[in-house]
Amino acid sequence: MILLEDVYFAYDGLYTALQGVSLQIDDGERIAIMGSNGAGKTTLVKHLNGLLRPDRGRVILDGVDTKHYSVAELAIQIGLVMQNPDHQLFLDSVEKEIIFSLENLGSSKEEAKERCEQTLNSLGLEGLSERSPFTLSGGERKRVALASVLATEPRVLSLDEPTIGQDARQKEKLAKMLRGLNEKGKAVIVVTHDIEFVIENFPRTVAMANGRIVADGPTNSVLSNNDVLSRCSLTRPQLTETARSLHSIFPEVPERLTLMDDLEKVVVKVLGGG
Amino acid sequence: MSFLEVFQYTRQDSVIHRLDPRAKLFMSIVLAAVSLLFLSIIPLLIIFICLVPIIGAAKSLRRWTRSMKGLSVLLIFIMIFNTLLSTQPNPFSHSVALTLRLVALMTSFSVFFLTVHPDELSQALIQMRVRYEFAFAMSMAMRYVPTLGQEAYAIMDAQKARGVELDKGSLLKRIRNIVPIIVPLIIVSIRRALSIAESMESRGFGSSEKRTYMNVLKFRKRDWAVVIISLFVLIFVVYVRLFVQLPTWMLWQIPV
Repeated sequence: MILLEDVYFAYDGLYTALQGVSLQIDDGERIAIMGSNGAGKTTLVKHLNGLLRPDRGRVILDGVDTKHYSVAELAIQIGLVMQNPDHQLFLDSVEKEIIFSLENLGSSKEEAKERCEQTLNSLGLEGLSERSPFTLSGGERKRVALASVLATEPRVLSLDEPTIGQDARQKEKLAKMLRGLNEKGKAVIVVTHDIEFVIENFPRTVAMANGRIVADGPTNSVLSNNDVLSRCSLTRPQLTETARSLHSIFPEVPERLTLMDDLEKVVVKVLGGG
Repeated sequence: MSFLEVFQYTRQDSVIHRLDPRAKLFMSIVLAAVSLLFLSIIPLLIIFICLVPIIGAAKSLRRWTRSMKGLSVLLIFIMIFNTLLSTQPNPFSHSVALTLRLVALMTSFSVFFLTVHPDELSQALIQMRVRYEFAFAMSMAMRYVPTLGQEAYAIMDAQKARGVELDKGSLLKRIRNIVPIIVPLIIVSIRRALSIAESMESRGFGSSEKRTYMNVLKFRKRDWAVVIISLFVLIFVVYVRLFVQLPTWMLWQIPV
């Protein structure tokens, strides 16, 4: 369990990025962090593994303040995949790249090899293990970067904008894989602007604006709240939009819907079906 | 790396900033040349004392002092090693003079780099008949230095998140730890260079031989004044160096 207690952070002590953020992340949760550009989302996830340390407040992992751990110690438990894959790839094959992470965190050679294979399979990269990461496409490099962190099987996996540059099929695969991890009890935290991806895959959403958390709760209630949407520069999901138009004709359709299932049920009811 | 700050442009409004970059370039070269002509403590001290007010006029004394503080470790090293290894009759005095000369050289060029905006520099080069492609490349290189710095930090963060311990282990391990930082940095820079080139070409860069410019540099009276004074100083100093026997107090050495 990770606990952020009233965390303040300013870059160079000048540019305020977080202003009193408190957040609890339990084991086995799937959380999306959303918000406008510059809201402090990336700053927040960098506090989880100690890349940034709070100016004020505390970040607590299982009851111990993370200031007692180094980033490398935290990295074993908390994986973070950054936005730009080119910032971490440096070896001449995909396989080596993934094994490098595993060796950093103390896996044996055989274990590393095996986990590497598993991870590549789960991300649809199995054919690329001998290729140089620099010859891959942007989307593939992104997945290799993800694989290099994923292979270490951290308890908490945080991803910064994982859906950028991924086509619909890859997004679906990513979602499936994240759910799979989650079922194994790992917590998954995603920073993203992709509202549909969040609605379909993340039960809890944290909305941020100007370095503060403006809403934290079940995704469908956070993302159907107009006030939150406008403060976070998000557009309403298509489904909510549809529900609203239906509501103006059929008042019995609730305005604030985000899930396909719920909409289906209501429509069937309105149409007089079972 | 704080000593590099003296070579970084700072936005200020000062007499020196307003000078034409070509005049400043000439002045800096003259100052540097003068400091290269002497290798005794007293003349170098005199040059140094003349340089300080120029930095002051550029309103950059504080930045300069900070950089010199950052440089002091290196300066002390130079002094110690030169004293130990020099074959001069008075090694300590000699190495103090060498150190002073280095500071004077750095300061002379910092007058130029502190006060000339990269755009001005490329414009100056173009007006000095350098092809604009080259001038542009040069100002872009200057422009991307801070970006590269930021990128390096981002890369360090990304590698730390994978468990790389940058500040731990033996010297050899630390040196090897540079690889995961340097390789992505080079690759990212090459990728960026290619994409900048593509986007510049898409916007028509290089389509015509002759380019026109919004801001054209013009030599004014004060720029001529700077050039003429610098020229006189240069002639005077060269004359003194070649034909005048320096008085003995000027050749004073630190007694050992």
